Amino acid sequence: MSAVAADAQHGEVSSQGSHTGPMVVARGVEYAFGTDANPKPILKSVDFTLEPGEFVILTGPSGAGKTTLMSLIGALRTVQTGSIKVLGTELEGLSPIGQRDVRRRIGFIFQDHNLFDALTAFQTLRLAMELIEPHPSYDEALVRARAIMEPLGMAEELNSQPGQLSGGQKQRVAIARALINEPALILADEPTASLDQGSAGAVIGIVRERITRSRAAALMVTHDTRLFSVADRVVRMEDGRVTDSN
Amino acid sequence: MRKLVSKPSVFAASIWGSLGAYLSVRSSFGMGVRLISFNPIRLLAAFAGIAVAVTVMFVELGLLTGLLNSQALMASVIRGELVVMSEARTHLHKWDNMNPIRINQITAVEGVEEIIPVYQRNMGLRDPDTNAVRRILALAFPPEDLPIAIGDPEVIIQALTTPNTILFDRRSRPIYAEMVIGEEAEINDQPYRVGGFVDLGPDIIHDGIVVMSDASLFGHDPNVRPIMGVIRISEGAVLEDVRGNIVTSLPDDISIFTPDELHRREIEFTLGSAPIGFLFGIGMLAGLVIGSITCYQILFNEIVDRLRQYATLKAMGFSEMFLRGVIVEQALLLAVGGFAGGLVFAWVSYAYIANRTALAVKISAGSITFIFVLAAGMCIAAGLLALRRVSAADPAELY
Repeated sequence: MSAVAADAQHGEVSSQGSHTGPMVVARGVEYAFGTDANPKPILKSVDFTLEPGEFVILTGPSGAGKTTLMSLIGALRTVQTGSIKVLGTELEGLSPIGQRDVRRRIGFIFQDHNLFDALTAFQTLRLAMELIEPHPSYDEALVRARAIMEPLGMAEELNSQPGQLSGGQKQRVAIARALINEPALILADEPTASLDQGSAGAVIGIVRERITRSRAAALMVTHDTRLFSVADRVVRMEDGRVTDSN
Repeated sequence: MRKLVSKPSVFAASIWGSLGAYLSVRSSFGMGVRLISFNPIRLLAAFAGIAVAVTVMFVELGLLTGLLNSQALMASVIRGELVVMSEARTHLHKWDNMNPIRINQITAVEGVEEIIPVYQRNMGLRDPDTNAVRRILALAFPPEDLPIAIGDPEVIIQALTTPNTILFDRRSRPIYAEMVIGEEAEINDQPYRVGGFVDLGPDIIHDGIVVMSDASLFGHDPNVRPIMGVIRISEGAVLEDVRGNIVTSLPDDISIFTPDELHRREIEFTLGSAPIGFLFGIGMLAGLVIGSITCYQILFNEIVDRLRQYATLKAMGFSEMFLRGVIVEQALLLAVGGFAGGLVFAWVSYAYIANRTALAVKISAGSITFIFVLAAGMCIAAGLLALRRVSAADPAELY
């Protein structure tokens, strides 16, 4: 049995976008950095829900706790207090392997592209596709890669390495990597920061299309007020609390 | 942070598990190679560093085995089933002769086809150009049959049956005058005709060898006694029975061995009497340490340069074992590339050492396998040490 297949026993790996019920339910979430003796609270009794098909923007001043909340929802940090249920899995008390399996169903878009300089765009996407079972063949992977790269205006760059791409193009490859497995949940941190307005619109369009087509959901941290209009809901955070959600 | 466990079985399981997880992700096969070869200058520098370490290990191992094999050379060229020598002769470079009567007595033992006495004596070979006399080892035996494998038996027997003829060991150190077939060589102030050449090789004590018939040696010293006897057993006789017959029928002033036993005894004596195993072992260890540090440094830099990328893979859900596989693949590439370079350097070094010392320094399949296993182990261990940095990569820091 392959290690990936073995890992699949601990959770759903390939059931991309098939979740029903709320995508994220956070209740009474608190989180603090620092030591037990000298904790520095970041999140204070946060309640948050993300429904299937929803595109939510998370905004607020620096230090409000947006990134920490996002990393908790992404199972990148361990829940300290409260409950977070993501794609039907309770994260509180979840083992590292269980956390990893949840992450496999999430599409992460980071502010930096974090691409391997030695891999072409196609190799990057194919590597990501190996996380789903069954592994797509080379030809299947190529079809999927073209399908995701074309709307991003990157179909001609499948064989390009990051060093041959502009900053915006690299970010589009990173976005394609996050979306290639049709994740049920998309977590994005300022994904359009390095893109021009046209590219940013294309990216948001693709995310929107994914959400609509597969009843996925997206949570995006951004300060770009131009994007607020395309979101279903804008959640504001201040000082570790959700202050507004409409 | 993940801790490395020192138990070999756990270590092996860890490597195996990493490779298994890695290879199960099919399209990633070759990813480690792609990553580490992206910067060819750095890769070549890494190969060179590891090649130096591999060369050091090869040279140390080659010197050790060359020295041991040279010391035990006589045991490895014996043409017979058993060897008998004085019980006092605890190693081949101890010159305790046998009582010549024992040779005759052994001839009469049941199961013995024949016994060929071998004599040896230090003699002086004069250089006709400089008139300098250099010490040389003379080996002698009855020319009817060869007790040692030193060349074409027919040619050697024909040459030695000619009176006052010597055969010169062409692998002797180049300190002697050039020998020409048919010309004269002066040994212990007596003229001999050079009848041809043999292949033996010197050891750390003797620079060169001449072979002559026992009759020629008796001309110098009629009282010379055999240093050993090479026994051939009769057809159908059982080796251990013959050995038992000899032991029971002769006094206990002799020792009797098979050639393999004699070779083994000589190696053990050499290793036990001088700390050469330890000294060359230290040398190999130095090579291993140099290689490990080089490999660790290269892989550590590779990891640090791509820490955010590795953290991204962890965030996406790739397992720690998969990341290990990437690093192990890089380590194996370093091992293979560095080993290949080191093998070439070692081949050149061996040729130079053999030329300068005339020791039996050779690259064997065994030494290639042994050094490759060391090099691969060294690089994989360095990779797993460097991997601790990947384990410390926190995907939460990406946000």
